[in-house]
Amino acid sequence: MSEKLLNIEDLSIHYFTENREVCAVNHVALSLDKGETLGLVGETGAGKTTIALGIMRLVPNPPGKILGGRIELEGENLLEKKNSEMQKIRGAKVSMIFQDPMTALNPIDTVGDQIAECIRLHSHVSRAEAALKAAETLEMVGIPRERYGEYPHQFSGGMKQRIVIAIALSCKPELLIADEPTTALDVTIQAQVLDIMNDLKNKLNMSMILITHDLGVVAEMCDKVAILYAGEIVESGTAEHIFDDTRHPYTIGLFGSLPSVAGQKRRLTPVAGLTPDPARLPAGCKFAPRCPHRTPECGQEEVALREVSPGHWVRCRNLEHVKGRE
Amino acid sequence: MNPMASSPSVEMEEEIVKKKSLWADAWSRMRRNKLAMFGLFLVLLILVLAVFAPLIAPYHYDEQNTKIAFQFPSLAHPFGTDNYGRDILSRVIYGARSSLMVGLVSVCVSSSLGGVLGCVAGFYGGKVDNAIMRFIDVVLAIPATLLAIAIAAILGPGLFNAVISIGLSNVGRFTRVVRGAVLTVRGQEYVEAARSINANNFRIIRRYVLPNAFAPMLVEFTLNISTSILSASQLSFLGLGVQPPMPEWGAMLSAGRKFIRDYWYITTFPGLSIMLTVYGFNLLGDGLRDALDPRLKD
Amino acid sequence: MSAIVEVKNLKKYFKTGKGVLHAVDGLTFGIEAGETLGVVGESGCGKSTLGRTILHLLDNTGGQIFFQGRDITRVNKKQLRELREDMQIIFQDPYASLNPRMSISETIAEPMVIQGKLGKAEIEKRVFQLMDTVGLARRLLNSYPHELDGGRRQRIGIARALALSPKFVVCDEPVSALDVSIQAQIINLMLDLQENLGLTYLFITHDLSVVRYISQNILVMYLGQMVEHCGADRLFEAPLHPYTKALLSAIPEPDIHRKKNRIILKGELASPINPKPGCRFAPRCLYAREACFQKGPELREVEPGHVVACHFAEEIQKEENG
Repeated sequence: MSEKLLNIEDLSIHYFTENREVCAVNHVALSLDKGETLGLVGETGAGKTTIALGIMRLVPNPPGKILGGRIELEGENLLEKKNSEMQKIRGAKVSMIFQDPMTALNPIDTVGDQIAECIRLHSHVSRAEAALKAAETLEMVGIPRERYGEYPHQFSGGMKQRIVIAIALSCKPELLIADEPTTALDVTIQAQVLDIMNDLKNKLNMSMILITHDLGVVAEMCDKVAILYAGEIVESGTAEHIFDDTRHPYTIGLFGSLPSVAGQKRRLTPVAGLTPDPARLPAGCKFAPRCPHRTPECGQEEVALREVSPGHWVRCRNLEHVKGRE
Repeated sequence: MNPMASSPSVEMEEEIVKKKSLWADAWSRMRRNKLAMFGLFLVLLILVLAVFAPLIAPYHYDEQNTKIAFQFPSLAHPFGTDNYGRDILSRVIYGARSSLMVGLVSVCVSSSLGGVLGCVAGFYGGKVDNAIMRFIDVVLAIPATLLAIAIAAILGPGLFNAVISIGLSNVGRFTRVVRGAVLTVRGQEYVEAARSINANNFRIIRRYVLPNAFAPMLVEFTLNISTSILSASQLSFLGLGVQPPMPEWGAMLSAGRKFIRDYWYITTFPGLSIMLTVYGFNLLGDGLRDALDPRLKD
Repeated sequence: MSAIVEVKNLKKYFKTGKGVLHAVDGLTFGIEAGETLGVVGESGCGKSTLGRTILHLLDNTGGQIFFQGRDITRVNKKQLRELREDMQIIFQDPYASLNPRMSISETIAEPMVIQGKLGKAEIEKRVFQLMDTVGLARRLLNSYPHELDGGRRQRIGIARALALSPKFVVCDEPVSALDVSIQAQIINLMLDLQENLGLTYLFITHDLSVVRYISQNILVMYLGQMVEHCGADRLFEAPLHPYTKALLSAIPEPDIHRKKNRIILKGELASPINPKPGCRFAPRCLYAREACFQKGPELREVEPGHVVACHFAEEIQKEENG
């Protein structure tokens, strides 16, 4: 049996502004084994990034506040760590890469030095050793070490994202959180970057949380998938569960929104309506107002996750009436 | 066929949307900013003092009585009296008139001139832009105060000339800000969208560029009032601004500085007034900037 | 059948500090009335410039543009005004393409106000009608763009483009900025509009699955040039150009069982500034030979309706099959 790396229980994160409380993440539970890749899928405002920031303990406070729950990394609750302890964990054990590589790099420092700096921050090595390691890391992501002394603006978007990955991986973290790492890139470049990420993940035996809205990327990269809607997990399971045995009406709607490359020409069947305002979530099932299968009870009481088959959880009370995708 | 059939738009909340402009939004945001509201309060206070000076001031500003010269602040003269026995409180209240006048009118001068120059430079770009901005660079290379003093020296002392010289000395700053704002707006996609529906340049400037470039202009306008008031006091301090017996805070400072060791209140109160007014306009300007910045929307 | 829009050897160059940028470099194609031509390519390939050049939002550098058989390469102001009633554009970014200081009704009415043919009451009626057409609730009449979500904003952009009843609409990545379910809603709307109003679309996108879904014909661009042009299904089933092949293989598909042979291209897009002679894709091409660096390939019709710009398209195809 594989070893459990990350375990999140009952995590709630809300943002408090002057006159409203934005319920970004509500009672989320997740777990991740060593070497696994988990896909966090959801639309804008579903709370994907907030969960990631929660794991890094980087939720901006104010206005953000972690209301409760546990985030256990190798059995230790990160929410009980002191800030100084967290600083050691960030970068060394857990690393994060963001959507926009342009803002993640320091424009006035060479890329090699930025990687070396990160190495020196987390391990006691000499300058020369760090530089050597940095050069190796650069090559690992497919950038020749001759470019060590160049500045970020001398690289293209895809290369910059690779450098960001190099920085994130320079200390060989156990867990890499990638927040929409390829959304800003062109398809052919996206293919390159995903390829490198998969490669390195296997080489370093890392676990990865991949945040994305693209089910295609998920299909390619992930072992496990969690679908988020309005700050809650509505369906989670292995990739096979989600792709072959789609159960939740929202997940079905997500798939129905995708034009198939195989080229069938009937109309798309997206979910109607809009995601609810996270400051005014509906009572009961958060998805009920948009759900084609809703019954009066759906809008009244909270719906718990149900295990429909081992490891496949769905948050819906009317599963019997919901037809899966064909 | 009903085009809505397969593109449903479920309306989750059925309340009628009221007309709520960006300005109303900005105001509701600014109301929550305590410092900005304090700034607005100071500005309004000084405005009231200036407008109703004859009603509020206990004495006329030029009522001299050497018998009571240099009196320490008392109930009869809360700010004391100066070397001619004039009531300092009344002079400070009347002084608000000149200061505000100079501030507002000179900013109007600089904003209208700078606004037109900046707008033309930013919108048309190219050679026109280059010509205007290189000239402005030269003007900006001279310190504004020095420029104002030079212009005032040429035009001669007096309230009107002070206003003109301060206004002219700030044109450069204004041109830059307006040009920057217009340049940003001109590059926006909605301007291209306006072109695609046949809007001409005049309409684009009037309906698209100016309303969107207005926020930074307003902020600059407000912040500029405070610097202009400061410049006016400096000019008056040097004797180039408002002429006696008209009270003006800078001139009062200048006249009172001979007695500062023995009678501190002669200079302190006009000085405080300048400080509070400038502070008020600065707070208001900063508050406006924050309130009008759409990125700070919650 | 005759094409409603036709371009011949269309060119648009920009002068930059570093040299001449060949954004659109010798494009030739036609679009039949009522159909959709999808234009795909990666960022910087000139696809947006192409749409804007056809609409005269940018001046063309060379070549010819025809609209309904009439040469519109050079037009004066009056002709341009009339032309824009027939040709419209929907922008990518619904946040940037709407004037934040104008309410929804003002924005939708603006083209008609500028045109000046309708009275106030008629315009008001038409605004309501357009809002119904694009699925905007009437109660939003006085709202401002910042109060609405991306999907609704894009509907406003569509309503504005439809205000003067155009025949031809350039859609510049109209759904790329939207969430998937909203994206699907907008795509459905655009298909409905095409069906009901008989619109012709030039649909610019980098999303290949969307483009197959919405278009009859597809044009693939690379660094300002067209590399392949044919029917949508044909392109996906039997792509001929090595770039098209790589592009198609790179699409991540939402299916865990289909394992594809992904072609990972080496290197990055070159710069379209002062391009070297020879095939522009050659430096990244898996099949590039000496000849490719010497001489740029001509566009060739290798089968009826299937145009490709590659010296060795047939040979590569044979190699792969055999």
